[in-house]
Amino acid sequence: MLHSGKTSRDEQFRAEALPWFDDVARFALSLARDRDEADDLTQETFLRALRSWHQYTPGTECRRWLFTICRNHFLRGRERDKRVVSYDDPEVEALAAASIHAAAANRGLGDIFERVDLGDAVTHALDALPAPFREAVVSVDLEDLAYDAAAEVLGVPIGTVRSRLFRGRRLLQKSLLAYATDAGLAVGLDTIRVEDKG
Amino acid sequence: MTMHPMLDCDAVMRQLWDYLDGELTPERMKQIGAHLAVCQRCYPQYQFERRFLDVLAAARNDHPALDQLRLRVMAALKDEGLAGVG
Repeated sequence: MLHSGKTSRDEQFRAEALPWFDDVARFALSLARDRDEADDLTQETFLRALRSWHQYTPGTECRRWLFTICRNHFLRGRERDKRVVSYDDPEVEALAAASIHAAAANRGLGDIFERVDLGDAVTHALDALPAPFREAVVSVDLEDLAYDAAAEVLGVPIGTVRSRLFRGRRLLQKSLLAYATDAGLAVGLDTIRVEDKG
Repeated sequence: MTMHPMLDCDAVMRQLWDYLDGELTPERMKQIGAHLAVCQRCYPQYQFERRFLDVLAAARNDHPALDQLRLRVMAALKDEGLAGVG
């Protein structure tokens, strides 16, 4: 019966999609970084989810599905991500992290993340990250998605998620160490050198 | 008792992020955990990265006007035909 079908859809939507409202709003804000655009993005995500509810399998990962809709809609109308960007191998990125730690330790900043409140600095550093890296960091580190879920949301292979994530983390660490040095917590920023390609 | 072959530091560093993210096989997680427990070279970096991830996770900011946005979106969903909201 049509009526009972719609009732079932509405009940399922309210039970499975709406509980993720806060998460989608936050994710949209992370992507757009503009309140008005993020609010439009959140609204459009839920409207599209409602219209496409027949494509969703009840009981599966609704949050991941909503994030995917949100990110796809965000990308629509943007030309970025169509350009070819080269990324380092994830393992190269992982090894490069060791050089950041060594430089931090040499400057007396080895315990910086437990010693100093870096909340605002982290927010600014995240905002300054190029979009592909920020999206990977937000998905995995802030929204706690596993690599495979982030790959699905971002529409890229897992290997790309790893390389973008690791590069993003390295760039964030570099920014935070620069912030700490500027704040007088260490000396000799010029000794913290990180190769930034692309 | 199962003995794990010891990994060298280079192998641990290559997979440190994957380890911190819990993305390795249980066997590999054990191997790296065992290495970190005894390696004075790798452990400080593990601690550094782990605390960095804690700081990053704490930077998660909720939408500043969530209730207002929720009202707007629920009204839009109601207009779209969703029953039981707004």
